[in-house]
Amino acid sequence: MSVLDNKVVSGVVEVGRGLATVAKHLFRPPVTLEYPEVMPDLSDRFHGRLSLLTKSGGEDLCIGCQACARVCPCGDLIQIEMHRDEQKVPVIDRFTIDLGRCIFCGNCTEVCPVDCIKMQDDFELAEYSREALVLDKYALSLSGEESDEYRVRHGLEKHVE
Amino acid sequence: MATTATNIPQQGVFLEKDIDTNDMVVNIGPQHPSTHGVLRLITTLDGEIVKNIEPVIGYLHRSKEKMAESRSLYQYQPTIDRVEYLSSFFDHYAFVSTVEAIAELEVPKRVQYIRMITMELNRITSHLLWFGTFLLDLGASSPMFYAFREREKILKLFEDLTGARMMYNYYRFGGVIADMPEGWLDKVRKVVDEFPDRLDEYEAIVTKNPIFLDRTIGIGIMSAEMALANGVTGPSLRASGIKLDLRKTNPYCSYDEVDFDVPVGNTGDCYDRYRVRFQEMRESLKIIRQAIDKIPGGDTAELNKRRAAGDETANEMDLQIYGKKINLITYKPPKGEGSTIVESPRGFLGCYIITDGSPKAYRIKWRGASFSNLSVLAPLMKGLLFPDLMAIFGSIDVILPEVDR
Repeated sequence: MSVLDNKVVSGVVEVGRGLATVAKHLFRPPVTLEYPEVMPDLSDRFHGRLSLLTKSGGEDLCIGCQACARVCPCGDLIQIEMHRDEQKVPVIDRFTIDLGRCIFCGNCTEVCPVDCIKMQDDFELAEYSREALVLDKYALSLSGEESDEYRVRHGLEKHVE
Repeated sequence: MATTATNIPQQGVFLEKDIDTNDMVVNIGPQHPSTHGVLRLITTLDGEIVKNIEPVIGYLHRSKEKMAESRSLYQYQPTIDRVEYLSSFFDHYAFVSTVEAIAELEVPKRVQYIRMITMELNRITSHLLWFGTFLLDLGASSPMFYAFREREKILKLFEDLTGARMMYNYYRFGGVIADMPEGWLDKVRKVVDEFPDRLDEYEAIVTKNPIFLDRTIGIGIMSAEMALANGVTGPSLRASGIKLDLRKTNPYCSYDEVDFDVPVGNTGDCYDRYRVRFQEMRESLKIIRQAIDKIPGGDTAELNKRRAAGDETANEMDLQIYGKKINLITYKPPKGEGSTIVESPRGFLGCYIITDGSPKAYRIKWRGASFSNLSVLAPLMKGLLFPDLMAIFGSIDVILPEVDR
């Protein structure tokens, strides 16, 4: 009988201790974020939407070297078509990224020799169709000012033409 | 008190002769909230008593080993995060250090400490998630919110460091992708300092709760022989009283330079497995604290200041984040083979790589701890009551992506 008494007493005490701990939360500030109203504070290194930086004047920075396409773990997710004009300057005809298949690993941003393809802290990427997730060069490119701002924020070299 | 088959009175007298008293086969899963993924358990029941249990795996198979044969090593690396997504730093460490062993790449001391800090933080997040889901399996829902509150803080640290919360892709052959952000170590220290209080809070809610004690003490006793015979490793093995921890027995990274204990249990029941994991979190905190104090170069801000002032000693090998800068696009490790086993939160995690001189690996083999740990479920469950199944399955901490790979 005394064993049972002990068990009951200790049970009541321990459950009370647990409840007291839980009740402490009545006086603590909430830790959750009300997401659409309050946006999370993201780090500079956040793996978000891919984008192409441009030169300060808005011209293409990409040189079409295919490095990003070669290191992508998802196969043909990044597709680049380019040619060279008379002065042997690369011209990008087509640059598409299928964000629907992207796993946001960041390999492409690491190997880019001119720091052109970079990740933004934009994570709200939902679309109504899969086709809308295939972004072309114009959808991916940032303007010259945005690119300069990005480069300043991340301490990259400026590409002024 | 343990309730096993032998404690239950014979009930045959109450049954009519024409009632079918044959065994009943119950399918649990594949889609079941308590199977932590997609696992099917074909359970043969005699009333409430489990006579046989047969796990069916393969629902999460993503051919991670075959994928390596069509991708260069660097291309393959982001997909390793998905081998075991609750503790990806361990997968990356096993993979990267195997390639480093094959190519004989030198790893600077600072990198080793960064890896050690991230791995131990990752062990804590993994154990916290286990803690939350284990109690959820037992019917307690509030501990999960407590565990996720603290896990969130550590995931935020990972996000600051690597840019991702779970799929880190941070280690590189012979180094890490980038140095820690300035002030990151102080943030880690802050989280680590307030963590013991949080652990005490969890223990106040759970550890001596009478319902929790009734459902775990004496349930699912795994003897040391049974654990060894089934290849169980990690905290589940240590709960059975065997002090086997690769961080102590075969120190890798810089684990030989820090001081920590290996917690072991006595009986090997669910309660011991719970206690061992809790103590492991405290040991991990101890390791992180020592690593923050000992890391060569200290915080990045300090190091950058020294470099800006022209201090030559700030540029020596041990303070770099790359041993030797390699071209990741065309990187070809030499022909050879090697393997690494690390102590992941679930046990031994092994990676075996054969390279043939091309950018791709000829063969990669993963040895996941969960696969072996799952195999002990059938002998462990034999003759126990059906309601104990989820307590036992939760306590051995199996994660299905690692079983199937």
